[in-house]
Amino acid sequence: MFDLILKNITQRKLRAGLTVFGIALGILAVIVMGGMSEHFNMTFDKSISLTADKIRVFPEIGFGGGDLNNSKAREVKRVTGVADAYGILQAALDPESLGFFGGDVVIGVQPEKQLSLLKDTKVTDGRFLAVGDGYRAVLGSSVAREFNLKAGDGLQIKSKRVQRASSITHTRNFTVVGIMEYTGSFFDNGVIIPLDVAQKFYDRGDTVSFILAVPDPDTDAEDLSKRIELNVEKIKTFSPEQLRKQIEQSLVIFTLITISAAVLAAIIGGLSVVNTMLMSVSERTKEFGLMKAMGAETKDILFMTMGEAALMGILGGICGIIGGGALVYYLNDYLASRGTVLFSVTPRLLAIAIVFSTLLGVLSGLYPAYRAAKMSPMEALRYE
Amino acid sequence: MDEPILSVRNLSKTYMQGKIPVHALSDVSFDVQKGEFLSIIGPSGSGKSTFLSMIGLLDRPTKGSVFIDGVEVTKATDSEAPKIRREKIGFVFQHFNLIPTLSAFENVDIAMRFARVPKSKRKERAAELLTRMGLRDRMNHKPSELSGGEQQRVAIARAMANNPAIILADEPTGEVDTKTRDMIVELLRGLSEKGQTILIVTHDTSVSARTRRIIKMLDGKIESDTINAVGEIKTA
Repeated sequence: MFDLILKNITQRKLRAGLTVFGIALGILAVIVMGGMSEHFNMTFDKSISLTADKIRVFPEIGFGGGDLNNSKAREVKRVTGVADAYGILQAALDPESLGFFGGDVVIGVQPEKQLSLLKDTKVTDGRFLAVGDGYRAVLGSSVAREFNLKAGDGLQIKSKRVQRASSITHTRNFTVVGIMEYTGSFFDNGVIIPLDVAQKFYDRGDTVSFILAVPDPDTDAEDLSKRIELNVEKIKTFSPEQLRKQIEQSLVIFTLITISAAVLAAIIGGLSVVNTMLMSVSERTKEFGLMKAMGAETKDILFMTMGEAALMGILGGICGIIGGGALVYYLNDYLASRGTVLFSVTPRLLAIAIVFSTLLGVLSGLYPAYRAAKMSPMEALRYE
Repeated sequence: MDEPILSVRNLSKTYMQGKIPVHALSDVSFDVQKGEFLSIIGPSGSGKSTFLSMIGLLDRPTKGSVFIDGVEVTKATDSEAPKIRREKIGFVFQHFNLIPTLSAFENVDIAMRFARVPKSKRKERAAELLTRMGLRDRMNHKPSELSGGEQQRVAIARAMANNPAIILADEPTGEVDTKTRDMIVELLRGLSEKGQTILIVTHDTSVSARTRRIIKMLDGKIESDTINAVGEIKTA
C-alpha cells in the first residue's frame, strides 16, 4: 500500500509540497525555540551543579539594592557550620548592555578564594589569579573566544560611576593571566579579577554584591541558610534549594515559549494537512467508492489516507529538523564569535520534533480519512 | 439442476421521495446458473440499476434476499460486505471508473491487493488477464492514454482479477462507439462460454440481443424473462 500513498503524494506535488513546507516551518520553530530552552536549561543545570554547595547571602533590601559590606563575611563565617565565607563583586563587562542573555560578567573575588568559587574548573592557558595581583584577569572560555584573547594579552574593561546626575566612564587595561576551560556554565562568560581591584575600579568602597557561605562538610545547607539569616543582621540568604527553585521559575518562561511555538506549529501545520487531505479526499470521492466496490476494507482506506497525512507530517518534520538544525548551527556559529551560544539541539529535542510532526500528520489525517472511509460506494460512484 | 450461482428472492426496495414512497423494486425473484450470460433491460426508472446495486451489495433492499454462491449476501454486515464484494462480485461500470493515477496494470493489480493476494501472484495474474484482453502492449499506460474500448477492457480484467462468482456490468457499452460495443459484448460472451457468469444491465437492445437470456423490467417488476436463441453475432 505504501507505493500507493507515495503515488498520491507525488501526483499532487505542489499541494503536498506546500503542506510539507508548512509543517517544516512549524517544526523549525520547535527546533529553534526548543534549542534555546534546552540550552538555558543545560547552562543553569551546569551552573547550579558548580555552585550548589554554597549559600548566597544578599543585603536585605535586595540584590544590588543595598550595600553589603565585606565585613559581613566575617560575621557570616562566625556562624556555626560555616566553613568559609567571602564576598563577591559582580558587574556587567559592558556597562551599556543589560547583560540579560548570557552577557559577560566581571566577577571580583579574593584570589585565595577563587578555587572555592570555581570548584574543579581548570585553566587551559596561563594561571589563576595570585594574591597581590593588580589589574589582572582570568577569562571564561566564551569571553576569550569572543575577544580572541590569550594569556598575556590585554583586555579593556569599562566601569560606569554615577556622580550626581551624570555618569563618568572609566576604562582600564587588564592583563589576561589565564583562560579557563569550557564548563557549560555562566563562568564561561566570566572575567575574574581580584576583589580589591574590582572594588577600587568600580568605586564600591568595601562593599560586595553578595557573600558566598561554604557549609561545613556535614552541615545541612538548608538549615545553615536559616541559621545565618537569624544570626547576622540586615541580610537575607538564598540556600542552594531556594536558588534552584528561583532559577526553575525563570526557566518556566522559556518552556512556555517552546510550548507556544509548538502549539502554533501544531495549529498552522495541522490545519494545512487537514485542508490538503480534505481536498484530496473529496477529489477522490469516486476513487474511494470504487475501491470499496472492489472490496477494499475500511481499514485499507483509512491506512491509505492516514498514511498520506502521516507521510506529509514526517517529511515536514525531517525538513524542519534539517532547516532548524542548519539555522541553529549558523546562529550558534555567529553568536560564538560574539561570546554566547544560545541553542542546544539535544537528541531529546530531535526525538520530540519527529514524534510531534508524525503525530501532527496522523491526527490531522484522522477526520479526512474517516470521511473517505465512511463513503458509501453507491453514493461515491454516482458522484460526478 | 445445479444450485444456482445467483438467486434473487422477493427482492423489494422502496425509496422515500419526500413523503411519497417510490417502489423501485417490488417482489422480484429469479435464478441464474453458473456460466449464464444474461441481460436486464428496461426503460429508465424500471428499477434495473437499483436491482444491480442490491446484488452488488452497494445498497440494501427493503425486503427479500439475494444469494450468491449459496451465501445470503443481503444479510452481510458492513464488516462482511468487503469480503463478499472481493470474492463473489466483479464490477464493470459505464464510466469505466479506472483510477486515473494508476496504469492499466496497476488498476488490475489493486483489486487483488485488497484481497491480500501475494505480490508475485498478482503480477502474474494481472499480466495474464491484460494479455487475454489484448492489452499486452498497453499495460503501462494511464487510463487517459487509452481509448474507451481499451479502458473498458482494463475494467473487465480488473473485474475478473479475483475470480468472482459473477460479473455485474452496468451499461458497459454506454460510452463507446458501436464497433467497440460489439467487441466488448463479444469479449464478455467469450468469458461466459468459459464458465464466467455475467449479468449486464443495459437499455441498448442491440447489446441484449446478443445475450442468452433477457430479463425485461418495467416499474420495478419483471415483465418478461426469455431465453434468447439468436444470441449469435454476425460480424459485418
